[in-house]
Amino acid sequence: MTALWTLAKIVWLEMLRKKEIYVLFILLAALLLALISLDVYGLGQVTGYVKEIGLLGAWVLGWILAVNTSVRQLPQEERRGTVFPLLAKPVSRLELVLGKWLGSWTIVCGATFCFYAATWGVTLLRGGTFAPAVVVQAALLHAAALGVVAALGIALSTRMNPDAAAATAYVVTGASFLLVPRVPALLVTSKGLSGALLLVVYNLLPHFELFDERRRLVHDWGPAHGGAISGALLYGALLTAVFLLLAWIGYRKKKFSRGDIL
Amino acid sequence: MVIHDAVKPAIDIQGLSVTFPSRGGAVRALRDVSFSVEPGTVFGFLGPNGAGKTTAIHVLLGFLQPTAGTATLLGQPVSEKIARERLGYLAENPDTYLFLTGRELLTMTGRLFRLRGAELAKRVDRLLEEVGLSAAADRRIASYSRGMRQRICMAQSLVNDPDLLILDEPTGGLDPLGRLEIRRLIADRRAAGKTVFFSSHELSEVELVCDQVAILVRGRLAAQGKTSELVGSNESLERYFINLATAETDRKEDG
Repeated sequence: MTALWTLAKIVWLEMLRKKEIYVLFILLAALLLALISLDVYGLGQVTGYVKEIGLLGAWVLGWILAVNTSVRQLPQEERRGTVFPLLAKPVSRLELVLGKWLGSWTIVCGATFCFYAATWGVTLLRGGTFAPAVVVQAALLHAAALGVVAALGIALSTRMNPDAAAATAYVVTGASFLLVPRVPALLVTSKGLSGALLLVVYNLLPHFELFDERRRLVHDWGPAHGGAISGALLYGALLTAVFLLLAWIGYRKKKFSRGDIL
Repeated sequence: MVIHDAVKPAIDIQGLSVTFPSRGGAVRALRDVSFSVEPGTVFGFLGPNGAGKTTAIHVLLGFLQPTAGTATLLGQPVSEKIARERLGYLAENPDTYLFLTGRELLTMTGRLFRLRGAELAKRVDRLLEEVGLSAAADRRIASYSRGMRQRICMAQSLVNDPDLLILDEPTGGLDPLGRLEIRRLIADRRAAGKTVFFSSHELSEVELVCDQVAILVRGRLAAQGKTSELVGSNESLERYFINLATAETDRKEDG
């Protein structure tokens, strides 16, 4: 575990010191200002809009950050040549993959939770409520979703260059967010080959809708059943493990191209 | 001083071949290379550019799978973590994490070797002092000169006090002072009874520091032995090396 946390810490320090993550905090500040000044149709006390926009911001920016951070971790080690001294130490390629995922996932979760905290703060400031138990559930599920996205990004980056991996990760995760929840309704009217294809898509793509608790927060519903939350978290952990396994398979015999091989 | 495993060489390479697939036909980077490095010696690994030195080192470090043959480090297969616990590696280019400070780099490297607490802090301070970077320890490596980066990478390769130190053309691009640092490092390791495997094409450096050498030309082992025995009394290592490389090139053209 020490190696994993050390590798993760390198990811955190790089993100923080290269100041890329500050772009996100500038966006957060802009969002906060917008939320504070929001007064839809003069209904200043309707905090549902505030929560809706704040949480949408958390999902979109967490998604972008998870993809962009994860896809470049392993290729970057190779490009700048640091993979050689790293793997000459008692660090296995599996540990490198896991450490990079852990670093990406935790820093993205940290940034995303800043959005949650900001949205919560503004909601309270405007007289709204934000049930702590539901927030915890929503944050846990959101973290699980980000873990899946980061693992997918790492897996793709073992086979593609970072740009191609990012584009593929955006397409797969975007399609999962937008298409998968609509498939059951489409299946009612689709028959034959198109129905079969839809079913394949439905079963193959990750079900990110299972991790999305925004409506529960926005409409002040009570916490979800513990069993359902545990099931969704288990599903997220399994998907993450599958993507990390694929990443390791892609990386364990990879030939590194930087430096004078011949 | 190190207590060496009685009969185990520090490095043992037997029948090593590496072939890279290529569009214009396969490239044979190493061809049936065999040699051993005895513990406690400074071993020079020579060859012109493109001879296959870095390929051999990449196999030794487990970055590349050989097409044929075997390689062991300190009696262990190269894939074993336990071998890398006792290994130090300094690459040709001082590639490192520029966003870290020198102290952070050494501390994190130490953690990868499961060092921690006061012992690690003490070791990091000592290494920073040894490579003359105590004053710059808390500055980011991005602000270091090339020589300073080479020195921090050198310190990084010594964090675990390795029994075997592999240096891959470490003097490339260094000024005379930097070269002197590398020579001092090698002398210190030798004095401590450790093994140094020194890859280079800078023959004057090798002649100064190495007990034994192996010369690689076009992926083949062209010569191996004690420096003094190979060169004889009337020849320099440079002359010997040029003759060998030329003969090998002629042989290839004739064949």
